[in-house]
Amino acid sequence: MSRIDITLTVNGEPRELKVEPRDQLADVLRGPLMLTGTHVGCEHGVCGACTIEIDGAPARSCIAHAGSCDGATIRTIEGFGDDEIMRALREAFTREHALQCGYCTPGMLVVGRDVVRRLPDADEARVREEMSGNLCRCTGYRGIVRAIVSVIVARRHARREGACR
Amino acid sequence: MNAGATGFGVGAALRRKEDARFLIGKGRYVGDITRPGMLEVAFLRSPVAHARLKRLTKPAGHEQQVFTIDDLPEIKTIRANSALPGFRVSEQPVLARGKIRHVGEAIAACIAGSRAEAEDLAGACELDYEMLPAVSDMTRAHLPGTPLLHEDWSMNAFLETHRNDDVSGLDAIAAAKVTRTLRTSRQCMAPLEGRGVLAEWDPRLEQIIVTTSTQMPHVTKSGLADCLGLDEGQVRIISPDVGGGFGYKGILLPEELVLAQLAIRLGRPVRWLEDRFEQLTAGANCREHHYVITAWADEAGRLLGVECDAIVDAGAYSSYPFGACLEAAQVGSILPGPYALPLLRCHTMSACTNKPPILPYRGVARTGVCYAMETTLDALARQLGISAEAIRLANLVRPEAMPYRNLVGKVFDSGDYPEALRRAVAAIDVPSIRARQAKGEAVGFGLATFCEQGAHGTSVYHAWGIPFVPGFEQAFVRLSPDGILEVRVGVHSHGQGMETSLAQVAHTILGVHPDKVRIVLGDTALTPYSTGTWGSRAAVMAGGAVAEACRQLGDRIASIGAGLLQVTRPDVVVADGFVRRIEGEGSVSIADVARTWYRAPQNLPKGVDKGGLEVTAGYRPDPDTGTHSYAAHAVVARVDLETGAVVLEDFVVVEDGGKLINPMIVDGQVLGGLAQGIGTALYEEMPYDGAGQPLAATLADYLLPGSADVPDVRLEHMETPSPWTTFGQKGIGESGAIGPPAAIVNAINDALASIGAEVTDLPATPERVLAAIAAARAGKA
Repeated sequence: MSRIDITLTVNGEPRELKVEPRDQLADVLRGPLMLTGTHVGCEHGVCGACTIEIDGAPARSCIAHAGSCDGATIRTIEGFGDDEIMRALREAFTREHALQCGYCTPGMLVVGRDVVRRLPDADEARVREEMSGNLCRCTGYRGIVRAIVSVIVARRHARREGACR
Repeated sequence: MNAGATGFGVGAALRRKEDARFLIGKGRYVGDITRPGMLEVAFLRSPVAHARLKRLTKPAGHEQQVFTIDDLPEIKTIRANSALPGFRVSEQPVLARGKIRHVGEAIAACIAGSRAEAEDLAGACELDYEMLPAVSDMTRAHLPGTPLLHEDWSMNAFLETHRNDDVSGLDAIAAAKVTRTLRTSRQCMAPLEGRGVLAEWDPRLEQIIVTTSTQMPHVTKSGLADCLGLDEGQVRIISPDVGGGFGYKGILLPEELVLAQLAIRLGRPVRWLEDRFEQLTAGANCREHHYVITAWADEAGRLLGVECDAIVDAGAYSSYPFGACLEAAQVGSILPGPYALPLLRCHTMSACTNKPPILPYRGVARTGVCYAMETTLDALARQLGISAEAIRLANLVRPEAMPYRNLVGKVFDSGDYPEALRRAVAAIDVPSIRARQAKGEAVGFGLATFCEQGAHGTSVYHAWGIPFVPGFEQAFVRLSPDGILEVRVGVHSHGQGMETSLAQVAHTILGVHPDKVRIVLGDTALTPYSTGTWGSRAAVMAGGAVAEACRQLGDRIASIGAGLLQVTRPDVVVADGFVRRIEGEGSVSIADVARTWYRAPQNLPKGVDKGGLEVTAGYRPDPDTGTHSYAAHAVVARVDLETGAVVLEDFVVVEDGGKLINPMIVDGQVLGGLAQGIGTALYEEMPYDGAGQPLAATLADYLLPGSADVPDVRLEHMETPSPWTTFGQKGIGESGAIGPPAAIVNAINDALASIGAEVTDLPATPERVLAAIAAARAGKA
């Protein structure tokens, strides 16, 4: 089968890859790039476990053809080391018991971070709606929703305090 | 020794130790593991439900990469027998031999350098078969003239059970009698991580190492050794991080046997990762029940008797080790629930059909049985004109009767069942619901009460005679030279947080900080034998075993410490990580005791226990008939009469799991189970057509509840200790999944009561709700 040459920027580093036309981005990340924090749950774009960032927006890596991602900037769960929102979310996730088996967690965090960034005024109902594309079979979602809401609320408070100064 | 909570011990809502790796994507699941030279396996699976397999033609030029049962004659069939009288045992070939018995049954293993190429090979195989009529309706499977799945059987049923109390006189004396026909749908357990198996042969150890996503590594080891004709020492099972189990991974897999034999044959590592299509269409199913149930009550609502005919669709084979009957054969023993029921007549059948075999899903039979009993109770209450609360209070076992032995011989250990119900009802503003109903709003209030037997052991399971009967649970503890406490247990953790909760148990006994306790799980080479994690048993059994092993280790530590302090053993206690004199000054740290044993043995006192700082201890509660946690669920549901959609406005759970080792983790278990129960109640359904074809092949067809479908549940705990367990803890891992279908449908039926409509079948989809409304309106017209 003919291979396609692509260049990706993955977690800040340029990577040159040869991929097969049928390779999904998740396979490339988990295989040759050994970034196994991106989990494959359904391989048809429903469960959200494989969610990563492509060019700054959350995307399902299980239904993104690697060959069509040439030139894209990719960020996976391994690439948020110094991110302030991600740090706050991780702390909130463990405090609120927002994870059990850990399989959906990377996707939840990537989408959760996007929600925090995009919707600074979201309430619980909105967060539930926004997270409804990511399935969790263990927690019943309460911890996940509470964790994300708590980070939104904390940032709102910080913003108000900043505005008062 | 220190037995109280210090902020880290039993009772503390300690944050989980395992979270750190999961939060940065460093959990390690089977699919994350590769080996040099590893080959990938894809299975050719049956496209039809029932057929005679005539020939498989392998793709030309690739014959050596495709393996059928004829190529792997060393592997024995899987036999999951039962000692229950009349049980028909199935012979399950690991790859179809001569006959196909369900869609998705594996026929050949195809091997290539990548999974995609292996799937190409599977797609290039030519399959020749002769179709047979499929048996897909469990209620008719047993009828004469139905084609037999297993041709040496007399009918398509694994087992029938009977309990024959005489209920013939009840019609004459009862104030109320109701009969209902109820049905629950076939489900898929759907952990987010599928199954996965990586097998490799170690020629030095002459050992097959199987890394597999399982809840029961030791049972898998024994089953694998049996079926491959190997010594147990030639098999090592490693279960790394497991992405959810719920019962789906409590099985010896045909795929595990095939992969192991392929690795032995080829001398190369082979891996198979189940994809979602395989999981939904070929993986084990669960929870398809059919009930015809009649109940009689007096004018106060007291139950006089229940008669029930139950059928459970057990699929085509008896899964190892739990078998095909764990659901149906338990219906009779679970039906009395938390109630003081005087008479029960019950017939059950485990039907054999052309569907994947069933496995016990979280709650096992209880979710369906609770649904049958609780909806029937509400129907009785409506007929008597009393409240749902009143009819339950009239029948719940009273706290002063504990421990209580019910009519089927189950012994409830402790608790105040009526109080849980009262608290759940009190948490809901029922008058406001009645006021809304009076204004014509289709809103309803529903209740369910139930108890959950957990951690039941030898005395219960030996009667089942399944391949594995749980005995004493063991834990191995070792104080390392650096003072780190290593704890090894044979149960496994797949979300339950045992790396944290068992460290809390160790801390409670020895005072070692949980950060210095290392819990080792999931490897048969490293852990003591165990039947694994199932049946809500780990907190009681492994918790008890770790406590016992730590106590014995503590005694040895104390003896050495006393010697170092130049006093005698009775003069010291172990507390907070130190051996301390009871009277007077003086202490020595546990780490110093460890250093002395390993690195300065010249300083050891005379007569020291030569076993050193390693202990394996066993534990089993006495009696071992199981703890009974219990709960009351209260639901407010609103029904859209135009669309049939159901909205859960409120959900209250009052739960008693005895002493909670880590209340945060217990909440997580209850809430997670609850979401699964909501799925059973409203969404999840794996329909089969008359040809035995599964009709939900993706997660867009098989609907799992999402974050917007699960309400912000209000959870309240009671903590009545079990008198039989180490800390008073009870098994509670499945509880949340039991009550929701009953409570939710009772709320729906309450909302529809003014119309006279009743939902009888699960899940209560908009279609079914509308059908119930239409039927009621047609009946009135």
